[in-house]
Amino acid sequence: MNIRNIFRFAAGLSGTAILALCASSNLQTGKADLKAAGALAFGPDNILFVGDTPAATIWALDVQDRASSKSGGSIEIKGVNEKIAALLGTAPDQILINDTAVNPVSKNIYMSVSRGRGPDATAVILRVDAAGKISEVPLDNIAHSSVKFVDPPAASTNGRQVETITAIAYIDGNVVVAGLSNEEFSSTLRSIPFPFTGAVKGAGIQIYHGSHGRFETAAPVRTFIPYEIDHQKAILAAYTCTPLVKIQVSQLTPGAKVEGTTIAELGAGNRPIDMLVYEKGGKHFILMANSSRGVMKLTAENLESYKPITAHTEVTGVPYETIAALKDVQRLKKYDDGTALLLQGTAGSMDLRTIALP
Amino acid sequence: MIRRMTQIALAALLLPLAAAAAGVSIHATDGAFQVTGWKASVEPAAGWSSVFQVYAGAGDIPAMLGSYTVEGAVLTFRPRWPLTPGMHVRAVFHLSGEAPVEAVFDTPKSAPGAATRVEHVYPSTDVLPSNTLKLYIYFSAAMRRGEAWQHIRLLDDKGVRVQLPFLEIDQELWDPANTRLTVLFDPGRIKRGLLPLRESGPNIEEGKRYTLVIGHEWLDANGAPLAAEFAKPFRVVEAERTPVDPAQWRISPPLPGTADPLIVDFPRPLDYALLQRAISVDGVKGKVEVARDETQWRFTPEAPWKQADYRLTVNTTLEDLAGNRVGRAFDVDKFQEVTAQIQTETVSLPFRIGNQ
Repeated sequence: MNIRNIFRFAAGLSGTAILALCASSNLQTGKADLKAAGALAFGPDNILFVGDTPAATIWALDVQDRASSKSGGSIEIKGVNEKIAALLGTAPDQILINDTAVNPVSKNIYMSVSRGRGPDATAVILRVDAAGKISEVPLDNIAHSSVKFVDPPAASTNGRQVETITAIAYIDGNVVVAGLSNEEFSSTLRSIPFPFTGAVKGAGIQIYHGSHGRFETAAPVRTFIPYEIDHQKAILAAYTCTPLVKIQVSQLTPGAKVEGTTIAELGAGNRPIDMLVYEKGGKHFILMANSSRGVMKLTAENLESYKPITAHTEVTGVPYETIAALKDVQRLKKYDDGTALLLQGTAGSMDLRTIALP
Repeated sequence: MIRRMTQIALAALLLPLAAAAAGVSIHATDGAFQVTGWKASVEPAAGWSSVFQVYAGAGDIPAMLGSYTVEGAVLTFRPRWPLTPGMHVRAVFHLSGEAPVEAVFDTPKSAPGAATRVEHVYPSTDVLPSNTLKLYIYFSAAMRRGEAWQHIRLLDDKGVRVQLPFLEIDQELWDPANTRLTVLFDPGRIKRGLLPLRESGPNIEEGKRYTLVIGHEWLDANGAPLAAEFAKPFRVVEAERTPVDPAQWRISPPLPGTADPLIVDFPRPLDYALLQRAISVDGVKGKVEVARDETQWRFTPEAPWKQADYRLTVNTTLEDLAGNRVGRAFDVDKFQEVTAQIQTETVSLPFRIGNQ
């Protein structure tokens, strides 16, 4: 299979599709009572999806941000965590920046933040405009809908069981949610139809990893992104056990048992954080922020030809290079066709900046 | 001419503000900040925030989010959220053409509570299989999120830190109260046939001794360090690669007419958290306890047992220390029959009380 011809994010929907979805998104205006704001993803018509782990809920927020912009220009906010803390009336060590997302239409940046780091932390959604101004997205009176994807744990479990949402994405009318249980080593990937209808929680999809055709294990997805190959939509997913795999979206059906096709093994100590797929000079690449190997650039050409590793002597499938200049990248998102957005730094001081895609 | 009139009009609006600025003072009251000694009249075109701003901290930072109200002669700023204890806050009132009036405030520090400590780490046993998958750290009070991986260390028998033995998930797998953290060993160094295992070896090696150390500098939700460092020494034995098999459990039924616990003994320790909810007695309410280093499950009924046939239902999600489930090994070896899988969600174990 050749991926040269068509390769784009699922989020890049046509205007017609957007208008149709707008009318049928089942949004209600009122308070969106988020318990926590974690993983973010944009969907159709400026809908921002927010993963709320303690409430086991995915929120769809209409952030009313429809002014189109091809590029947001250049962003450089040094000490963004300190600025956010000041805005929220607290100290930098009292906030956590949980995720970032770029509105594909306006290029405004959204950030999910915890104000406080204990169990009583407040969920805050912030918007950063092209001028670098940070403002709050008020949640008291916002058009929204939500879906609770698991029932609250029974009293007998002492209420400790939680499924932590690690990544979400909107793909073809579904919100796909990757979660990690704090009790079972489960591998839950959920596909929840959007617009949400209260009763449809989206069934779990069991994800397995096959190694050398011999060993088969449950394989929780740490992070993933949607992309498209020759009209076949797929997700590129990083397992917690480090293989980078490809799964056809058509396989993500309720109750399915899916084994991803390994396209690369990333080696020990790697903690994939974020990925993006982009095109440069007529070729396609995957950029991946990684805990111990920094930012890796992998070729995305002919992924199919990089067969799963079949012998112990092979190191990886897809060739990659490490972008040495990019260190301590905490979040990596596509900003526009030629630019990436980075949240970069250590816990003490973090910067939000755009860079040209390498 | 029109431009000149606009300028005059603006000047007229600003004049009363400027004229009264000399006696201005700023007070903090009930979590709000008030400007007095000046008669607020018309809100400036750029909003009240153009004349009065409150900053949480110093340096190049934006003003705090909040709302403004004017009541009588007082301009009040209420922060969007109550200020965090121990903050240094700077309030600045600045009229055009006037020297700014500044006031600084320190919010009271929170009173120190009882020091938080590590209550227990599961598995309780000090003998762990080399493919151990999970640890649960229980704290006596809520902890602070976002810094777990700085404070959890695994040391070998020489006291040297083991590099990256855990899956360092930045979301951190806490329970809702932030009193229990689930720590996964790096599954890439457990699963057979994967590059991380070949490159770096297993997280913990058979025959060796290790110590799990939880640093006392880890801050709780109130920002206070733990009462003490916590250490859990353990030794490592052969990997456990077979499914959990309920057929090997020993069920000890109590006498009828008593509310004594039903006791189920396992040949190997099972996952503490899952034991709380993965086993039940059909139709009987009661309390679950886990004992003997997670090799024993005890169920005390609310009402006395009857002389009858009962059934224990075991959810196949129940795991042992190495993530082997009921009827399914953690990493299924398709070449070996021993890891044949059970596909059902539950397994039933009948038992009889009385008339043995």
